[in-house]
Amino acid sequence: MRRQRTPENRGDRAYRLATAAVAASIPIFMFAILIFIFQYSLPAIRFNGLGFFTTSSWNLGNLNTAATVVKNGVTGLPGASYGVIGLLVGTLFSSAIALLIAVPTSIAIALFTAEDAPRVVREPLVALEDLLAGIPSVIYGLWGITVLVPLVQSTIAPGMSKVLGFVPFFGGGTNTGYGLLTCGLILALMVTPIISSTVRESFAKTPSELKEGALALGCTKWEVQRRITIPFSKTTIAGASMLGLGRALGETMAVLMVGGGSYAALPSKIYSPISTMATAIVSLLDSAFQDPTGLALYSLAEVALVLFAVTLAANMAARVFVSGGVTKAFVSRSEA
Amino acid sequence: MAKMKLTTRGVSSTTIGLVVVLVIVVVAAGAYIAVTGVGTTTTTTVISTVTTTATSTVTAVSTSTSTSVSTSTSVSTSTFTSSETTNTNISATLLEDGSSLLYPAFNLWIANFSQYYPNVHITTGSGGSGKGISEAAAGTVNIGASDAYLTISQANANPGLLNIPLAISAQQVNYYFGSGNALNKIHLNFSASILAQIYNGTITTWNNPQIAALQSASVAAQLPSTAITPIHRADSSGDTFIFTSYLSAGDQYWNKTYGYGTSPTIIPSGVGITATGNSGMLTALSTTPGGIAYVGISYLNTANQLGFGYAHLQNRAGNFVDITAANIQAAVNARLSSVPTNETASLIYAPGANSYPIVNFEYAIVKTTQPSASILAAVQAFLTWDITRGNLGYFLLQVHFVALPSAVAQLSLTQVASLHT
Repeated sequence: MRRQRTPENRGDRAYRLATAAVAASIPIFMFAILIFIFQYSLPAIRFNGLGFFTTSSWNLGNLNTAATVVKNGVTGLPGASYGVIGLLVGTLFSSAIALLIAVPTSIAIALFTAEDAPRVVREPLVALEDLLAGIPSVIYGLWGITVLVPLVQSTIAPGMSKVLGFVPFFGGGTNTGYGLLTCGLILALMVTPIISSTVRESFAKTPSELKEGALALGCTKWEVQRRITIPFSKTTIAGASMLGLGRALGETMAVLMVGGGSYAALPSKIYSPISTMATAIVSLLDSAFQDPTGLALYSLAEVALVLFAVTLAANMAARVFVSGGVTKAFVSRSEA
Repeated sequence: MAKMKLTTRGVSSTTIGLVVVLVIVVVAAGAYIAVTGVGTTTTTTVISTVTTTATSTVTAVSTSTSTSVSTSTSVSTSTFTSSETTNTNISATLLEDGSSLLYPAFNLWIANFSQYYPNVHITTGSGGSGKGISEAAAGTVNIGASDAYLTISQANANPGLLNIPLAISAQQVNYYFGSGNALNKIHLNFSASILAQIYNGTITTWNNPQIAALQSASVAAQLPSTAITPIHRADSSGDTFIFTSYLSAGDQYWNKTYGYGTSPTIIPSGVGITATGNSGMLTALSTTPGGIAYVGISYLNTANQLGFGYAHLQNRAGNFVDITAANIQAAVNARLSSVPTNETASLIYAPGANSYPIVNFEYAIVKTTQPSASILAAVQAFLTWDITRGNLGYFLLQVHFVALPSAVAQLSLTQVASLHT
């Protein structure tokens, strides 16, 4: 239908070519960025080797000397060592905490707004939810510093340490409000509107025949939601979670402001200060410029490459889930 | 389906409208409360929020200091004004970025300088000393500001780059035990070796016997078992440079293991928390009872307003000294003879009974070769003005800086004169 051979006049043709060229810029930019980051990080990949993924360290080396060292053909400062594992753990842990909180919350919000809420409540709720998703992250960060950090420091962290202290990773001292827990909380807040609005739309599409059928069989409202609505949107929930994960992994400003910044140490407890890959790139960039060999910059590019790969994986997973076959299979099965 | 969507939209936009109105009402109510004033409590919250953004803090600092100093220095202002004539021949726009410690001073200087050079426009930034050096080297700013001199590797990589002292600064070590704690008002004694052990995570609580041993018996008895949270800079900072220089000079183990530098990664990661800029350090400290932070002296007024205590530091002679102008001056005098013509010199841990141990030159980082005649003229005029007029007590008292001794000022002026196109 699209490829109908109708005679095209010159204007149409030019128009079509122009739009095609503009559209082509999307894959071109994508690959240009990928190739650039890869090329830029190549010296670091050679210098750091596999140790980049097994150590947790960020040391520019000795700047107060004219000496340099050469490793695998790449020049660096004496004592320079770079490892991403601490940043990787910080990124994955803070995002995991965010999803653990945000996914159940989002499902509850979506169930309420899609099914239970009366129209007067639903409309403003949905509008507010969309507004929340659009707030710039620096505002979340500022709120985090002024409200959330003191709250975590004075109440949440000591409380958790007291109640859950017997669980490894949850016990121990909680002297500061900056750290992994606060990052997880603020990220949860940021991704909840994204996840819940996607899930809500899917809930709203649940075939009413199925729900009515279940009600007719004597199911309670809760049973309908648990056995029909949620399973029907199972893949959308997974996909929306991946979408939220993609946002959480790359979130920079808010995490930078409440993370407490630890570039080379693994968190020993949930209250430990962390850096994520994104925040490390921001906060270590200006010191990286001091390295006359450029190795610090190349190593940051390598961090960017890892972040790119992880985020791409999360987004592709989201895509596969959201557009994926399972929902269709469910529908076709129920239609058959 | 489509029809339903349409109606949904219609209602949503009305609701969004309602929400917007609601937000405006809340903001207006908030503003009303803030203006009519719930007294002192409102003011303090405003200060602590403001400190998170560098620009606003400094405005707060300069306004508060100028009111306190203006009465005592009004005489010098009037004499100062009459001695200078307006120069409209030099016309250029200059960019400055770097040290957040020098930033408040730059703002004071520029406000006055521009009255006499109305056609020279200077924008300032406080992105940190590391940024000041790298941007000056790259030529993206005309003047980089740094608390640290150029390292050997930086000087080798950028042969045309000069570090020119504009004033003398110092750094205090602040601590905070939470609102209303009596210990905030006591000047605790610290040595480089104790600070080194706090910052590498060896000493973890305030009542550690090694800390107690440095205090008088009555103070030692008051030290709580609270955990110590060391706070260090997240950005590339001259404050980190001079602080770690002190630790390196006074503690062998620190010197061997970590060394000194502007990079945030010099200080062991994961021990405490990090913050951006001097104002960020103050904000982090205000929300971290049991915290300890190194902060540039130009933020001493803000630190005092926030109720933080500051330490007396042990100098090379073994005495615990206060961060007074006289003690800073003593340190400068002790090192005066060792300042070379390129002015790359450390004033850290100077000898002398009264020398304050963390003292440094505040440097302007500029390229020897300037891009144009007008920019050259403007840079030379501004730097000369900073070194001469800018070193008057009227400006320096407000940020607690100390004037360059005349020998050093002469070296700086010679360096300024050596700039060319």
